[in-house]
Amino acid sequence: MTRAVIESDVCIVGSGISAAMVADRIARTTSAKILVVEAGDDTVPLPRRAASRERFLRYGENPWGRDHLDGYEIEGPLQSRSMQVGGLAMHWGGVTPRFSPEDFKQRTLFGVGTDWPISYDDLDPFYQEAEVVLGVAGEQGPSAMDPRSKRFPMPPLPLTYNLELLKVWAAKAGITMWSQPSSKNSVAYGGRPPCCRNDTCSPICPIGAKYSPDFTWNALRSANRIRLVPRTLVRKLVLESGRKNISHAVAVNRDRPNEPVELHAKLFVVAAGYTWSSHLLLLSAQNGAPNGVANSSGLVGKYLAGHRNVQGYVDLPIRLYPGINEQHSLLTKQFMRRPKGSQYIRHDLRVWESSVNKTPRLTDDSGSLMLGDAILNDWRARTQTGTARVRAYYDVIPDRASELTLDPTRKNEWGDPLPKLSFRDAPESAALRGPTEEAIKTLFADMAKAGDGKLLRTSVDNFQDHPSGGCRMGNDPETSVVDSWGRAHDHENLFIVGAPTCVSGSCANATLTFCALSLRSANEIGRTVKKSS
Amino acid sequence: MPVPTLTLSRRTFLASLAAAVPLTLIVRRAHAAARAHLESDPATFDALADVVLPSALGKAGIRRAAAAFREWGAGYRASAELNHGYGTSRLRSSGPTPLTRWTQQLDALDAAARAAHRKPFRELSPADRVALVREALAGQRLDRMPAVGDATHVALALLSHFYDSSAATDLCYQAQIGRSTCRRLADSSRKPLPSLKLSER
Repeated sequence: MTRAVIESDVCIVGSGISAAMVADRIARTTSAKILVVEAGDDTVPLPRRAASRERFLRYGENPWGRDHLDGYEIEGPLQSRSMQVGGLAMHWGGVTPRFSPEDFKQRTLFGVGTDWPISYDDLDPFYQEAEVVLGVAGEQGPSAMDPRSKRFPMPPLPLTYNLELLKVWAAKAGITMWSQPSSKNSVAYGGRPPCCRNDTCSPICPIGAKYSPDFTWNALRSANRIRLVPRTLVRKLVLESGRKNISHAVAVNRDRPNEPVELHAKLFVVAAGYTWSSHLLLLSAQNGAPNGVANSSGLVGKYLAGHRNVQGYVDLPIRLYPGINEQHSLLTKQFMRRPKGSQYIRHDLRVWESSVNKTPRLTDDSGSLMLGDAILNDWRARTQTGTARVRAYYDVIPDRASELTLDPTRKNEWGDPLPKLSFRDAPESAALRGPTEEAIKTLFADMAKAGDGKLLRTSVDNFQDHPSGGCRMGNDPETSVVDSWGRAHDHENLFIVGAPTCVSGSCANATLTFCALSLRSANEIGRTVKKSS
Repeated sequence: MPVPTLTLSRRTFLASLAAAVPLTLIVRRAHAAARAHLESDPATFDALADVVLPSALGKAGIRRAAAAFREWGAGYRASAELNHGYGTSRLRSSGPTPLTRWTQQLDALDAAARAAHRKPFRELSPADRVALVREALAGQRLDRMPAVGDATHVALALLSHFYDSSAATDLCYQAQIGRSTCRRLADSSRKPLPSLKLSER
């Protein structure tokens, strides 16, 4: 049987946003030979995205082509089925708030959860670097709520007409709000044009104003700084005989499944997100690592993290014009910063324009069918006032039983068990759930009242958004999988980066934090590469 | 030696024919036939558009909306992968072409017109056309505007297609919002300009 061997200094598994951060930084700071391996296909190139978006808008079609592997229907709430060069950040919303300082010290400050082995200040320079690499347009919030050491690299996305009105409404309720920082160009940046409010950031930006990892890959490929191999699924990390280092990875080329591929490297970086990173480590059980690679603690796949949201719609006596930009929002961290020792009830808060309750309908209040002018007249009458969408993410403190395991009942076409996901609140978090949701609903009602409006409805999303964890970082190898740099406690030459290393999921969109953590890891990977050469 | 005669019933013959022709080809041909039907005889459809779409569009606007709907139908792809949902590994794909049922429904409207008024649908007064449309929609689920492709009746599909458009939003708000269209960032901070008058479009 033919066997393909690919040699490199650094082998990165996965090509999502964390992988892009690591590859970019190592390419900038070292001369290492970098290999990037991706199970999915190459992504839809930028010139084809406008047409792809059109099909999405007209027919709801997936704008990213065949961005998945067949047979990967798994048990549990997978964040997204998407698998392609660029990963989930090809269709992310580009929303980039930071976590706040208390996220890293939950146990010390509030007696819940687990402290991270790093502080906000440790991560601040890497947040800054991530904002520069991605290109973040942001408005500085009040420094007590929104501490940062340097300015955003781009001016904020201007508030739309609707958001300006909603900001005034929020102020009446005593809430200070500002433009949501976003990885979308407010001016030409990184060779990409400014945003023009096409308003389909998620799932697809047709002009490249929103950052997606393919821009980094294109630049690195054209500079000949990396080799990126798509359609190649890494199935196992193999240990050096009798040693603790990773010797090579075994992969399958989806076009030539009968020719095994071996990936040999000095350093391995697993950057495959919260699901596929833990999955690969667990699949790699072997002599010397009977429970999987990097898993002497038994914690690989454990402590999956995320946050839940409460959402509401408020009818306000303001004429709004929904459709200017429904994806951009106002943000505040007013309810995210809690004083030490207080009960750990906190959340973010965002406000959007919305067309909920203001869309055309077929029947009138009496249930009679309307046709012709009646539908338009009814619609016009109902849109003299506006709707605001309000949403608060709140923390869910992860439990050990919030986990990814191998599912013995479902296998992929190469015979490997698929992952199974289940999320559970830690008991202390479960106890806070009721009071937290109640506090948020009360806030929404108060906001409605302050604007002489009416809270139309609220809902709680059970799905934990922006999932992370599974290879949590820590200083103690007994209670964590990697150190604060993402280096596996068990294996000197193995790094796990980005989402899986998070200790907790905060109450804000997490991608910027994944990027900052990845850049911090890349700093250490670069040091290790230089030392070894 | 005599050649044995092979006798096939009509049903067996059709079944064997169907087995020999790939399903996708049959579906594609049905879609093309329905599309051709809609394009070759637009009068019934246009007469329907005249009574279900708002008169504020003007005659030309209604023709544009009807043409845009036909274009939508022509571009429909069955079994296309739909946008992935978050929080699930399940994939979804588009259903069979709705054009075949919609053209049958247009034929049914025309047949009903001929049965009740001895005239084609297109020659009925607006009030009579509306009455037939109401009759056709009796018993349909009308609690919400359906997604175009899911509409159980061609009248609902046309309404849904139009009211989902950026032009419909602008017509409702009588303002140039331009939903889902590119505009200068700075322009989004000001109140949308009033709509152009029909004569200015």
